[in-house]
Amino acid sequence: MQIVTRQVEGKPLTVTIEYPEYTDPVERLIQRIESLDVSFCAVSDDRQIRIAASDVYYLESVDRKLFLYTEHDVYRLDLSSSALEKLTDGSGFVRISRTCIMNTAHLTGIRQLKNSHLEASLDNGEHLIVSRKYLRDIKKCF
Amino acid sequence: MRKILQDTCILAALMILAVFACSIIWSGITAEILLVLLLFGLALIIAVCNYLFDEYFTMPMVISYIVKYFVFSGIVMLFGFIAGWFFPSNFWMAFIYVGIVLVLAFAIDALKVRRDIRYINEHINKKESSGKLTKISDNPETE
Repeated sequence: MQIVTRQVEGKPLTVTIEYPEYTDPVERLIQRIESLDVSFCAVSDDRQIRIAASDVYYLESVDRKLFLYTEHDVYRLDLSSSALEKLTDGSGFVRISRTCIMNTAHLTGIRQLKNSHLEASLDNGEHLIVSRKYLRDIKKCF
Repeated sequence: MRKILQDTCILAALMILAVFACSIIWSGITAEILLVLLLFGLALIIAVCNYLFDEYFTMPMVISYIVKYFVFSGIVMLFGFIAGWFFPSNFWMAFIYVGIVLVLAFAIDALKVRRDIRYINEHINKKESSGKLTKISDNPETE
């Protein structure tokens, strides 16, 4: 399989799959790419906004309310935890604590602090506390 | 290696349970069988407590192990008194038993955490460097 990537400015992300014949591996590949194209319907100032999963940094549950964090903004998400698990399953999201699900696409590193807490650094400069229990799940994403 | 050790422990536990199940049918519960069954019960209680502790408390690793040490020692002592293992004269032995197990668990956990962090960071770096390589070779092809 050949992988060709190129930067085309001013165009949305486009994936073109060329195949000699439509086989099971091709179908699986398409399904896998489709699973990456997940988006969330979030609420901000009583307006509904669709946010692509790739723009989401992490999701956090606070007082039974779910919040979605992008690079700079925070949105409210009306979603049940089971629906959230289903939506984030296999799309690079991983639970890092009881209340937080992180997008591993924005993860730049994990380090152990002096007090032996684990800290995940994101590419927007934010840091999240990782529960040791979920470290293995993060490992599985790579 | 870890997988083999894990499978060995599970297999050993299954063998013990299977052999003891047959022994119970043939000759009833003996003192040895009761001891092993109680140990299985104690292990289950501690495993459940450990799961709940990890799920609901986020503490630094050392503090979490110290808290667990006292909680688990308490559980072992209580269980030991109920099961008749401990008496007022030897109950302090629970602290030694739990201490040995927790020191080993702490050492393994610390090593595992360090190894997992290294693995994740290596893969992130690899991904980043391959991303950079892609960018360099991103000469737009003619369509």
